[in-house]
Amino acid sequence: MTTLELTTLAQSGAEALAPITLYHYLFVSAVMFAIGVIGFLSRRNMIIMFLCTEIMFQAAGLALIAFSRLHFNHSGDVFVIIVLTVAAAEAALALGLVVYLFRRKGSLDALQWAQLSG
Amino acid sequence: MSLILLSLMVLPLIGAAFIAFNKAEWAKWLGLGWSLITFIWSVIAALAFFDWSDSGSMQMIFRREWIPSIGVDFSLGVDAVALLLILLTTLLGPICMAASFTAINERRRLFYASLLVLQAAMTGVFASRDLALFYFCFEFTLAPMYVLINLYGSTNRQAAATKFFLYTFTGSLIALAGFLYTGWKVSLWNGGLWSFDIATLTEYASRMSATEQTWVMFALLAGFAVKVPLFPVHTWLPLAHTEAPTAGSVILAGVLLKLGTYGIFRFVLPFTPVAVLQYAPAIAILSIIGIIYAGLICWVQRDVKKLVAYSSVSHLGFCVLGLVALNSAGMVGSVMYMVNHGLSTGALFLLIGFMYERYHTRSLNEVGGLASRMPIWAFFMVFFTLASVGLPGLNGFVSEFLCMLGAYQSGATWGVGGTAGPLGPWFAVFAATGVIVSAIYLLFMVGRIVFGPLQEPADHHAHEVLPTDLSVREISTLAPLAILCLVLGVYPAPLLIALEGPVAETVAMYDEVRANSAIAEAPPTVDTIEGESVVLLEREDLP
Amino acid sequence: MLDLLQNLPTLTTLAAEGADAAQSAGMTSYEFPGVGKDWMGLIPLMPLISCVLCGLFWFLGVKSKLPAFTTVLFLGVSFVLTVAAYFQIHPEGLVQRVMWFNWLALDTASEGGGLYIDFAFYFDSLTILWMLFVSGLATLIALYASEYMADDKGPGYCRFFFAFSLFVFAMSCLVMGDNLVLLFLGWEGVGLCSYLLIGYYFKKPSAVEAAKKAFIMNRIGDLGLLIGIMMTWTQFGSLEYSEIFSQIADLNASGEEIPWAITIIPYLFMIGAFGKSAQLPLYTWLPDAMEGPTPVSALIHAATMVTAGVYLIARMYPFFVLNPTALAIVAWIGGLTALLAATIGMAQFDIKRIMAYSTVSQLGYMFLGLGVLTSAGGAFHVFTHAFFKATLFLCCGAVMHGFAGQLDLRKLSGVMKMKGWGIVGIAMLVGCINLAGLPFTAGFFSKDMIIAEAFVTPGFGLLGWIALLTAGLTAYYTFRVFFRVFIGPVEYEPGDDHHGAEESQDHHEEEAHDHGHFHPHAPGWAINAVLAILAVASILVAGVYFMGDHGGWAGSMVHDSTAYYESPYAAHDGEAHGSPALFGLDPHKAMYYISGVVALVGILFAWFLHLAGRKTAATSRADALKVKLGPIARAAENKWYVDEIYNAIIRVPLLVASHIFALIDKLIVDGLVDGAGWLPRGVAKGLRPSQNGIFQNYATGMAGGLALLLIIVWAMSMTGGSG
Repeated sequence: MTTLELTTLAQSGAEALAPITLYHYLFVSAVMFAIGVIGFLSRRNMIIMFLCTEIMFQAAGLALIAFSRLHFNHSGDVFVIIVLTVAAAEAALALGLVVYLFRRKGSLDALQWAQLSG
Repeated sequence: MSLILLSLMVLPLIGAAFIAFNKAEWAKWLGLGWSLITFIWSVIAALAFFDWSDSGSMQMIFRREWIPSIGVDFSLGVDAVALLLILLTTLLGPICMAASFTAINERRRLFYASLLVLQAAMTGVFASRDLALFYFCFEFTLAPMYVLINLYGSTNRQAAATKFFLYTFTGSLIALAGFLYTGWKVSLWNGGLWSFDIATLTEYASRMSATEQTWVMFALLAGFAVKVPLFPVHTWLPLAHTEAPTAGSVILAGVLLKLGTYGIFRFVLPFTPVAVLQYAPAIAILSIIGIIYAGLICWVQRDVKKLVAYSSVSHLGFCVLGLVALNSAGMVGSVMYMVNHGLSTGALFLLIGFMYERYHTRSLNEVGGLASRMPIWAFFMVFFTLASVGLPGLNGFVSEFLCMLGAYQSGATWGVGGTAGPLGPWFAVFAATGVIVSAIYLLFMVGRIVFGPLQEPADHHAHEVLPTDLSVREISTLAPLAILCLVLGVYPAPLLIALEGPVAETVAMYDEVRANSAIAEAPPTVDTIEGESVVLLEREDLP
Repeated sequence: MLDLLQNLPTLTTLAAEGADAAQSAGMTSYEFPGVGKDWMGLIPLMPLISCVLCGLFWFLGVKSKLPAFTTVLFLGVSFVLTVAAYFQIHPEGLVQRVMWFNWLALDTASEGGGLYIDFAFYFDSLTILWMLFVSGLATLIALYASEYMADDKGPGYCRFFFAFSLFVFAMSCLVMGDNLVLLFLGWEGVGLCSYLLIGYYFKKPSAVEAAKKAFIMNRIGDLGLLIGIMMTWTQFGSLEYSEIFSQIADLNASGEEIPWAITIIPYLFMIGAFGKSAQLPLYTWLPDAMEGPTPVSALIHAATMVTAGVYLIARMYPFFVLNPTALAIVAWIGGLTALLAATIGMAQFDIKRIMAYSTVSQLGYMFLGLGVLTSAGGAFHVFTHAFFKATLFLCCGAVMHGFAGQLDLRKLSGVMKMKGWGIVGIAMLVGCINLAGLPFTAGFFSKDMIIAEAFVTPGFGLLGWIALLTAGLTAYYTFRVFFRVFIGPVEYEPGDDHHGAEESQDHHEEEAHDHGHFHPHAPGWAINAVLAILAVASILVAGVYFMGDHGGWAGSMVHDSTAYYESPYAAHDGEAHGSPALFGLDPHKAMYYISGVVALVGILFAWFLHLAGRKTAATSRADALKVKLGPIARAAENKWYVDEIYNAIIRVPLLVASHIFALIDKLIVDGLVDGAGWLPRGVAKGLRPSQNGIFQNYATGMAGGLALLLIIVWAMSMTGGSG
């Protein structure tokens, strides 16, 4: 495996620092995603769960941007912009829903909503 | 390019839309009117635009690209067999409409629109020259029929509708697999270019190896045998018939069952000749078991409608027997059987429906001796029963005789009249016992319900609308069927000659297959091995 | 039956000789039929028109005697045309064909042939012989029925004559059809009309049951005929008589071995013949068929339809003479049926049923005649029997009509002495002497022809004795009826009438309950005229025995057709051709004396037991005899329990099988399907708890699945990477 190094602005100024490679970005992205997943699975508060999904989104976005930079094209960037836009719209909708659900049951507990039980 | 077939499919659909956007009170008249127009138009088309002297080739062809990426065309065309069945469909249309005037009193628009949609789909099945279109129409018939049974049937209708749908749907999904395999195989020979044109597939499908043909045959049979229905996959039929409304039963017995035999005739026989030659005796044995077994079951039924439904199973056995005889007499007889069974059994269901409207029971234990109450009804009942029994001079005999004769000749090696084929005299002899069985159960039915001392349900009141005996409207639904039964029984010669054309191709194909297998059995030479090897088809080979 | 086995060697020699004789007897060539005159095609058309008109009257609600007279008129025209056709065909022995239209056509060019079946009629002298009495008797009986059925005027009347005309049409097709399929059309058609007419009083369950029984039993026979037809087609590639017979003639001429199929065909046709002509083992429907109106019994179940089986075998005689075993079976079945039916007839009390059993018995004679190589004798007996049996039935009908349906011979006596019953009594007497075979009657000559042949044909001697015994029994039971019902002390008891229509039923019931006021109403002009004509005709028919060279006129008619076969043992016209003499005389002459004596002895028995010293209608000397015979008499009265046996060994097992099949269908065949339907439901039930509606559980599943997938991909990349 070859190690691809990202040429960054920092690289020219600070030789002593270890170069920040793609793997660093991906590592951060993976950690964020894991936090999001664990949060989503372990917490029962719907707002927290929603925030966790947002974290997962951003993790994915980070990875995309990293790859975009790697390949020197902008498809990843464009995609992230779209995701951010959609996420914003979605956040508005989702929070609206959460508010509605809260009004119905007076609680944010996700376990309150299990009517789909087979 | 001829728009006639397309118009026969589209006219009922327009009618259905028309009904949907009009008053419910008008639905029955609109339905009757549209189906009558379609029927008259189909008769004109058959007489004026179909060349009966060239009945074996596809005519009134219409073709447009539909899904070009996988070679699917919207392609229509009929030969004599398909045209005859389309005529049967369009004839039964107005009859079903007129028969439902007093029986259906709620959700009328949906009812009549469903009937029209069903008619369009059935026409499409017989008219399509493209396998994908065929399959689409074949499956699409299920939807309106499901609606008819599920919404307008009697007490146990939901279970019946579900069973009908799932049973036939499962079968035809397996058939779809068979179709796709055939299409894929042909596409391989065609440099990866797919085509669902039936003529193309017919031409090349028989090049599949014997093993492949066997698998494809069983897959296709899974779809069509359920529809026929062949023993032992017949059990959905009595239930569906018993629960369906009168018009539904008529269409079911008259046309929908024929989709199965038509499919066998159109696809199973030409696609997989080697496998059919090998398994024809087995299929024939199943049909004979069906003939006798279902016939005897009829005898102990107490629900008239169930009795007639089982009799369909028994009768269609003859139809399949004639098909797998693989000679002219058998196959022509079989096609005639499809039409004749549609007429006589359809009429029997109508009659039972009319009785049910008056007495609200179908049990032989509760009604009897109706000849003294309803003489006209009794006349028709006896008439169609006799047609069903196969009395010479009426239509049933012609087809039954030809089917049995075909089975008898098929493979008879002595004498002048024998033909090549996979069956033999014993098949005909056993099938012929069905003639006795059918006399037993049908005369039992007539003896109970028509003759004997009058018996009516205890809580019986005269119907508020209907007269005691048949009304003019009801008679006019039966009379055309009766006249056709008589005409087809007395003078079937022109039709038989016309049907010979389409059948001759299949017969010739089987002669060729037999000749080839005779070569294959001979010690192989280099020539024959190369001659038999798979040839990659050039693009130009395909039409 | 043991005798049959012992005789088999003789029969095989007969086979060889028969084949030789077939070649020598002028069967080597066959002339193709010429084109007949167009008007001959009107013979079957007339009854068809009448049928359509009666159907029309029915729909129009005609309430007069119009349908009857229409029928009489058209059938009369048909008869006149038949007579004209007789003069056209007979003198020169022509064979002609008249075409209506092409019925079935299948141009199977690819298989080297075509199936063409024409709606065409074949005229030879055998056809004419049959058609003469069919159309003649049908006309007379229609006239009779116009009065007999008068109580039912209205829909029933129209229905009756509709079916009656249809019957004559079907019978014409059967007899005149030029191919086997048209014969089959007629064959089934007469069966249908028989069904409709037996079930004429459809409110009576017994009538419906009898009609059904007749149709189904006939269908069993038809099965044989149908398979025979298919076999004939496969063998000859044609179903037209002319083609078949010419091929058979060629075969005979070539001297080649007879194909096995041709030897099988007679057995199949035989089954059909036995069904239609009520022979063992398919005879039980005929006595029950007496539920129909009497004119129907006279026409269909005595004179015409039941002789269709005889016609079939006579028509197909070229097949039968090639297979002596088949002929022997025909002879034995005929002889045994004759005896069995006669024994049952002796013990019955219903006069119509007695006549029915006598019909079965006489039909047995006809088959015996065909079996012992005298097709002429068989056909002659058909001809004479048609007249006298129709007379007998119509007389019984007149009695039934006059005495409100009374048919029990214990409740009627001395009818002939009552006012207005003279013609009926005399006609009955004429019929009885014919049936009993009193010397110099038509029945005497025709029966003798058959019995004498049985004696002279080697191997059939026992059958000759059986036939003689039966002749004696016949004389006895015939005159038992005559002595009990028509002469003796005058006494009567009206029956509980079962004439169809409701209003007349009520009317008659009143009469029946009111014995004091019941007066038997003597027959009117139509019935009397028909009876008189028939009685005279029955006597005159005897004369035809002396016309022609080949065993009488009927013989000469048969001689000109393919049914003719010259038995190597035949003794004709007083010259014994080396055939065994009977008591030192020519067999036919000897038979005159022997059977004459036998008939007289039978009548004497009947006189002693049933007339001499009888004071009342109900009792006679026979009662004492009956007590002595005990169980035998009881068994004979119960028809030897044949119906019960059939019921137990055929109908009940079949019914049980049907119930079992119905159960199998419901539980196993459908059960498996439903079982298959339960399978996904069961699986789903097992998996249901996993869907608990908590969406975090689903998400866990998703994450777990994703993790699993990643692990798999990783593992694969590890293994794949190393390679």
